[in-house]
Amino acid sequence: MKERSYRVLLRLLPRALREKHGDAMQALFLERLCHAQRDGWAAIGAAWLHAILDVGSEAWRQRARRSRPARPRRVSMLGSDLRQALRLLLRAHFASLLVVGMLALGIAANVAVFSLVNGLFLRPFPFPDPERLVFVNEKAPRWNLEVVGVNYPDFHQWRASQKAFEAMAVYDTVSYNLSDGSRAERVSGARVSHDFLDVLRVPPRLGRNFTPDEDKPKANPVVMIGAGLWQERFGGAPDVLGRSLRLNGVAHTIVGVFPPEAEFPEGARLFVPNAGDPNQQGQSYGGSAIARLKAGVSVADAELDLLRAHAPIWEARDREQTVSPYVRPLREMLVGEFATAAGALTVAVALLLVVACANVAALMLARAIGRRRELAIRIAVGASRWSLLRQLFAENLLLSVAGGLAGVVAGGWAVGVLVAAVPDEVPRWAQFGLDGRVAGFAILVTLATAVLFGFAPAIQAVRSDLRGAMHPAAGGTTASPRGRRTLFLLVGAEFALAALLLVSGGLLLKAWERVRTTDPGFRTSNVLAFSMSLPEAAYPDAERRLAFWERLIGRLQALPGVDGVGAITCVPFGCHWGSFFEAEGKPRSADDPNPVVLYRYASAGYFETLGLRLLAGRFFQAEDGHKGRGLSVVVNRSFQRAHWPDAAAAVGRRLRRQSSTNDSPWYTVVGVVEDVRHYGLERPMRPGIYLPLPEETPGNLSLVLHAAGDPTALTASARAIVQELDPDLALFRVQTMEQALLQSLRTRAVYSWMLAVFAVQALLLALGGSYGVTSYLASQRSREIGIRLALGARGADVAASVLRSGLRVVVAGVAAGVLVSLGAGRLLSTLLFGIAPHDGLVLAASGGTLLIAGLLANVLPAWRAARLDPVQTLRME
Amino acid sequence: MGRLESREYYILLALAGSDKHGQAIARDAERLSAGEQRLWPASLYGALESLSEQGWIEELPAGTDDRPDPSHRKRFYRITGRGYVALATETRRLASVVKLARARIKVRSGEAG
Repeated sequence: MKERSYRVLLRLLPRALREKHGDAMQALFLERLCHAQRDGWAAIGAAWLHAILDVGSEAWRQRARRSRPARPRRVSMLGSDLRQALRLLLRAHFASLLVVGMLALGIAANVAVFSLVNGLFLRPFPFPDPERLVFVNEKAPRWNLEVVGVNYPDFHQWRASQKAFEAMAVYDTVSYNLSDGSRAERVSGARVSHDFLDVLRVPPRLGRNFTPDEDKPKANPVVMIGAGLWQERFGGAPDVLGRSLRLNGVAHTIVGVFPPEAEFPEGARLFVPNAGDPNQQGQSYGGSAIARLKAGVSVADAELDLLRAHAPIWEARDREQTVSPYVRPLREMLVGEFATAAGALTVAVALLLVVACANVAALMLARAIGRRRELAIRIAVGASRWSLLRQLFAENLLLSVAGGLAGVVAGGWAVGVLVAAVPDEVPRWAQFGLDGRVAGFAILVTLATAVLFGFAPAIQAVRSDLRGAMHPAAGGTTASPRGRRTLFLLVGAEFALAALLLVSGGLLLKAWERVRTTDPGFRTSNVLAFSMSLPEAAYPDAERRLAFWERLIGRLQALPGVDGVGAITCVPFGCHWGSFFEAEGKPRSADDPNPVVLYRYASAGYFETLGLRLLAGRFFQAEDGHKGRGLSVVVNRSFQRAHWPDAAAAVGRRLRRQSSTNDSPWYTVVGVVEDVRHYGLERPMRPGIYLPLPEETPGNLSLVLHAAGDPTALTASARAIVQELDPDLALFRVQTMEQALLQSLRTRAVYSWMLAVFAVQALLLALGGSYGVTSYLASQRSREIGIRLALGARGADVAASVLRSGLRVVVAGVAAGVLVSLGAGRLLSTLLFGIAPHDGLVLAASGGTLLIAGLLANVLPAWRAARLDPVQTLRME
Repeated sequence: MGRLESREYYILLALAGSDKHGQAIARDAERLSAGEQRLWPASLYGALESLSEQGWIEELPAGTDDRPDPSHRKRFYRITGRGYVALATETRRLASVVKLARARIKVRSGEAG
């Protein structure tokens, strides 16, 4: 490993030198490394740093010798500057490591977040003219719905009469049982219209697109497979075209392989024609659409054009103009809810870098001021200011490059951790990782840091009054007032920014805690859930489906260790089936803000299995929904609130599905249950109802099992039972409700904890900076302090004075930071889940933590000052 | 003839004692300079190459060691006559610098004190 790394490093050198002496160089380096290993990791790091510098400067020198033979001195001078700088820095071992470490922290955080932001926002899609890609959807502002979904007849109408788009395509998610006779697998895919790839302008990986004829109802079944499936099932064989794939028991001919970059929605592994029927009435709004703008057409123009194309639909079947189409850049849809979080993280990380840089600046400035005397002497004996500046510059450059390298490495690692933490929500085309741009950004930040914060104090140090500095009585006793002010300002700014980050991080953590402890309204522990789908071909009617489900439920119930089994069409955090329902005697008003009702078909055992709380009436019983019984329904608390004053009053009332003909049957409310947080712990619940499963048995269901012990232990036996009942069926989305819950919270968890980690980093940086500066200032005052102690000042007074001057800055910084964070908290408010931006506990805790940190940072230097030996300090002068 | 860089100076100084191979030169230079001149591989071999080009040192012909790949051979170097001259010139120059610096610093601190 180390040999290989060193060899890679040596590639910087000209080939002739490397080939002639490569082995000897490696041997010498390994010998050095071996020595260093005895002295611990710091020495190993130093050895590598040496090696990098050595090879780098030699490569530079060699190249310069060849290309500019007339001016070799200059280059070798920079080389010797760098080496001398290294020697100096290594002597000030700990201080150098501190600076490098602090820069690395800031840069690593920056690289990590920039990689994420880059992947999501900046990197172009892998499609031609990606900026012209948009998505189209429908919204119903009056019903409080941002995303309704695309209705196929609407889409058909748009496509026929729009003028703004080159091409439009509609797609929807589907999933299939893919079986080869012996084993069944659930594969998710998408139904796409035939022009889907034309919109993206990518050709199929293999074979051809769907034809317009194949994209019609009752056409021959054809399929395009994703590259993953192609590899997995067919070993990537090119003769896959024309072979067939059994989807839900129906043979589909493979006509092409989908290009991998176009595989979205996320997770789609096979693609079938959408085959929509524009003339069928009452189709759902489930699809999504993408389109490519004509050149020069803006998103706003396109939306106007689409509204024009939509007008006949309003005319024909939506006179209230409830639903209307809209157009957005494609990236906006894919970035989605990451936007606020990514923005907050980007700001946080930029602040962190500023803190890190302020810290380095403070330490460098302190050093530069402390070395005024040395520099003055060197100027006096004939060193040019230019050469001194160059020397200082070399030191700063070294520190920044080392910090930058360490930061890039650590940042690369952090990106891996981050991406692993949010795998599901991240779209496939967004690729993260260290690319040239990210590395370039890091290097830019590093060099800017070196120049801005390292060099500027250095100039000040060299330019300052040399005669004053030379004088031993004055030189080295106290920093100039201007220097002190700058130092205090830097430390104060560090604490202010750290306060801002701590308060924001604290608010997010508190919000996270509140979200996490929100009552989901159902039992999450010891519950296993999985989904199944009965293919239409084998289970064509409701009787056969119901018979299968009841047999399955019976068998599962008999398993040892199972306390309850239930079945439902949509488990919490799962899917959404929305429709309109009206209560008897209460016609729905047109401006009801929340008219869409979540409806689910549930088995009798579902309620007990998930531990839903009954508010009034009863749960379903086994007979509910069977023919001959009255139609019964269980409503949730939100539905009850919208229609009836209390739960008890709701029982016995009736409701029905809303229809234009007013002839749908009435259902009688038999029970009212507490809301569950179906859409996630942080999302509000809408009115919802449960219909009895036997009434209209669907082919897709989720089963929930309440186990006495570990629910995952039931997976194998459940699979075996299904296999036994029908080997063509597959279990999918197998997870415990606890896992489902955590998954729904993962994005929030990731950004909340990241911000908290940044805040702690900022705190540590501020602590280090304050410690460094106070120590430096105290050491500069050692002569004055020595005199005071010699004249009889008490140690405690001296300590207090040192402490006071350090703490004043901390307090001012924290106060400023807390004030600023009051404003900043408001920007975060959409992420705060009801926590006030000026939450007292968070403000107090952050402020207190910072003050304690400031105290800690200043106590040690103050204590050291109090214990100075006056004789020693005065003799030293 | 330009001024010698300090690494070149120490390499010549090390070879002035006896003929050596690269690693031995590095060790000797470090010892002679009391740890001040630590030669790292690339600058060591880079300097050896450039000193050879200038004719101040030369590579000894391969001895009994006749492995086929030239990069595996340990190369020994020796200082040439011109190398001795360069070393002596630089030593004289350094000595005069040291003398001058001593005198200056004494005067300055005398003034100030």
